[in-house]
Amino acid sequence: MQKAFKQDVEKFVADYCVQCHADRPKAGLNLRVAVKKPGDPAFLRKWIECIANVEAHDMPPEDADQPSDEERQRFLDALSQVQYLSNRDPGPFVIRRLTKAEFGNTLRDFLGVDPSVAKDLPEEVPGEGYLNSLSPMQVEQYLGIANEAIAKLSAKDEARLFGDAKTEVREIARRLARAAYRRPPTEEEIGVLAGVFDLGTKNGLDRDAALKFMLKAVLVSPQFLFITPSKAAPEGEKIVPLDDHQLASRLSYFLWATMPDAELSKLADEGRLHDPAVLKAQVKRMLASPRSRALFDGFGAQWLGLDKIATKTFDPDKFPQMTPALREAMYEEARLFFESIVRENRSVVTFVNGDYTYLNATLAPIYGLEKTVKGAAMEKVALTDANRGGILTMPGVLATTSFPTRTSPVIRGVWVLEQVLGEHVPPAPPNVPALEKQDQKTIAGLTLRQRTELHRTEAVCANCHKILDPIGFGLENFDAIGRWRESDESGGKVDAAGELPGGQRFQSPRELKTIIAARKDDLSRNLTEKLLAYALCRQLDGYDLIVVDQLHKTIAGDGHKMQTLISEVVTSYPFLNRRVQD
Amino acid sequence: MASTHLISRRTCLRGLGASLGLPLLETMGWAETAKGATASKPPVRLGFMYMPHGVIMDQFWPSSPESFLKSPPPALESLRPILDQCLLMKGISGVPITPFGSAPHALELSTWLTASLPNAAKRSQIHIAISADQIFANYYGALTALPSLELATMPQTHKENQEGLNEGYYSHCSFRSPTQAMPAEINPRNVLNRLFGKTDTGGPAGTTNPLDRQMLDLVIGGAKDLRRTLPHGDQQKLDEYLDSVRSVERRIAAIETRQKEAALEKAGVAPSRSKSGDSPTIEVKIPEGDKRSEYMQVMCDLTILAFQTDTTRVSTYIGSTPNGVSYPELGFSDTHHGPTHHNNEAEKVRKVAAITKFNIDQFAYMVKKMATLREGDGTLLDNCLMMWGSGLEDGNKHTRENLPFIIAGKGGGSIETGRFLNNVKGNQGDLLTTLLGCAGVPLDRPIGIATKEISEIRKA
Repeated sequence: MQKAFKQDVEKFVADYCVQCHADRPKAGLNLRVAVKKPGDPAFLRKWIECIANVEAHDMPPEDADQPSDEERQRFLDALSQVQYLSNRDPGPFVIRRLTKAEFGNTLRDFLGVDPSVAKDLPEEVPGEGYLNSLSPMQVEQYLGIANEAIAKLSAKDEARLFGDAKTEVREIARRLARAAYRRPPTEEEIGVLAGVFDLGTKNGLDRDAALKFMLKAVLVSPQFLFITPSKAAPEGEKIVPLDDHQLASRLSYFLWATMPDAELSKLADEGRLHDPAVLKAQVKRMLASPRSRALFDGFGAQWLGLDKIATKTFDPDKFPQMTPALREAMYEEARLFFESIVRENRSVVTFVNGDYTYLNATLAPIYGLEKTVKGAAMEKVALTDANRGGILTMPGVLATTSFPTRTSPVIRGVWVLEQVLGEHVPPAPPNVPALEKQDQKTIAGLTLRQRTELHRTEAVCANCHKILDPIGFGLENFDAIGRWRESDESGGKVDAAGELPGGQRFQSPRELKTIIAARKDDLSRNLTEKLLAYALCRQLDGYDLIVVDQLHKTIAGDGHKMQTLISEVVTSYPFLNRRVQD
Repeated sequence: MASTHLISRRTCLRGLGASLGLPLLETMGWAETAKGATASKPPVRLGFMYMPHGVIMDQFWPSSPESFLKSPPPALESLRPILDQCLLMKGISGVPITPFGSAPHALELSTWLTASLPNAAKRSQIHIAISADQIFANYYGALTALPSLELATMPQTHKENQEGLNEGYYSHCSFRSPTQAMPAEINPRNVLNRLFGKTDTGGPAGTTNPLDRQMLDLVIGGAKDLRRTLPHGDQQKLDEYLDSVRSVERRIAAIETRQKEAALEKAGVAPSRSKSGDSPTIEVKIPEGDKRSEYMQVMCDLTILAFQTDTTRVSTYIGSTPNGVSYPELGFSDTHHGPTHHNNEAEKVRKVAAITKFNIDQFAYMVKKMATLREGDGTLLDNCLMMWGSGLEDGNKHTRENLPFIIAGKGGGSIETGRFLNNVKGNQGDLLTTLLGCAGVPLDRPIGIATKEISEIRKA
């Protein structure tokens, strides 16, 4: 492989690329450096762009020397293998602060208080975009929340945490720290807490108050607020496995967004969690628990865009229906649908072609099913109209991919490509003539589709829009809040027919869904990538893409089942290991 | 007096364990000394307020330096009463964003106070540069209860991947270090409660327990054992946390000092800390409804209160982020970004102009109020440098040649206001470097892409 790279890539780069992409690199691309380190993950993204540009004959540019077709093909073939030159690398796993949701849930499980005690912390993005940052103001809040949580302790929980009057203080400290730090505390750590107790009693606190003071110290300790390893990595090692307690926490926060429960902690104490069979059994057990709704609240809602539904602006005159109750029902519909696929271990293709959903009386009118569904609680409903069912036509998704006043076929098209199929859509160039600029006489009486097609005749726009638009148009039968319609805002009849690149034709949302559902590998590979990034709390890079390839083979071999996908992520190399130095 | 404290913030923090018992504000603050021998000058405070997506240029730039004061452009109308205390400069360019050409919105805010681009090889992480406000905080932050104040209108949770850049670049302007984005607070009640120990509802305020300070000290001490077992990257994260804990310790100490002083003052034993001529601190009322203007004004009030009480000397307020904020008060439901690609269509231009004016109106609310508050021999505004601006010039074309900035306040007499400089040649880094110079921060190197100071803005 190294040899092929040398022959076909290095020579091609030297002959056709370095004139522009070297010492004064155009587009920030210095290929002279990149060819010297073929497996360097830092360049992987660049190589992927190279493949796209050379394949499309965009590069080398028209006015430069052109390679023969054979040279071009050999370059592409060799380059498509470049990721396999990357070194095995699990990526870093820097000590991570609990997110707002995790913090609240952990307080609930540790102290028995309501998680809303953490409601005033700043909102943050869990998973891939997680920042792991904090400000002094936030530490102020941690202190305030600790006070509030302790004040709300019930007598029962107090007894559970502090034992009786005879329990030794160091023993109480050990128990609190074991639970809160999610690993066995060191003797020094117990000593610090006992010191806080003494500080309290010396300043006139009685035993009970001093124990609470000690608990407050636990709650503002970095060992509680961050997921920390239980022991130092061996000297000189670059890559180490997570210790069992760290792994228990990583798994628990991934699937439950809270601290490990007794069973997980016990397995970690016994050192058995690294056994893949044990891990997989735990995944199954954890997904069956109601706590796994955290996987939707943290991951699913973000993936489907439903995290925006509560606050997204809709024109109140056009869509007075978009009340908080309807928005909540839309969220719940997506959540229950997601959870059904996870808990019932269905194929990920169900996300696209599922023939059932969950409705209540608030949401049913959007489907025209107000006569069928009358209760306030969400109930499972079989869908007979094949244009419905699945995330592509789910009201919550259709609404978050619309403008406040109308649908946006382009946003919907981009959404399907990026979120469902995992393709990358480049952003629009600035200063493209937008729809509204069109001459009012020319567009009089045209539907949105006809106007958009007019806009597509502009050369600069055509390339991308010929891919995006058909998908969006295929969904034009659904208005900006997801109701079925035969004609759009202009009064013209909706034409939902289209053709995708590659020549697949469709006449209706139903047929579009069938085409998308057939792309099983793209669907499950995309979901694997997104879920792995969420689990690792970082963007995927370099070696991770090789990992995804491997996971995907197993997942595809098992019928693209959702629980297999989750288990594969949990037992993957980057989930189980960490790089401790650069 | 601050300039005599040529010690780094970190050195100061290390020593805090020992020095915390001293009345912090009296030894380090700017209040008159007990002897009252020489009246010291109030410190210069620095504030930044941001709006994304640029402006409608011909409604923002004055037509000429001469006409600036008499007939200001429509966008600046609300600043009219204090234009003599404002300074406008045209010709400040932004950081060129190649090789991130497709990420104009991800970078408009994060380059704003750093004048730097993210590290391209580590783009998926936060890896940029310490921001101007945090450079200021490194120098002066140890003198106040809070090193810096970060406020925002919207949650910093926008998820959009441009050019593979970390999503955090979209919604953060303030960077404590090249790898640490500072989260901003969006809940005014939290700020009021936690920072000032006040409530507006009559309920109990966040209580400060002096014993907490010693407890935090023990916690920090204990974390040192943990720190030894961690690899370098982890140590950095832990240090970020411990740094924040120390700032809480300091705030508790400051409140204790204030309480003691108040008690002494009440007993007639000690003279008042504040100069008799200074205005009393403002009352902050948190609005009931969800009107954007009222919300932004209370954030402005909190900034004023923080400056007035010397709780901090530097603040950032991200008035909105580039992620589709709408302005229902203006009578339309479009989100901000949409109409900025207006192609000179009248209706969209009108909307962008209205949004811009709305944002500048809130800034004007803040600085006009500051101009009414007496402090030292002048007003609070006289001792501040308040900068309003955007990270794009023209949202329609994503240009960054003449970034819109408004500076209000005289910076303790360091800059000459009442002017429109229509041909300043410089960049964003030059401007930030100059402002920090005016605020008395001795920089060991210019900020980001800066190559020089923009000396025209200084008072001759």
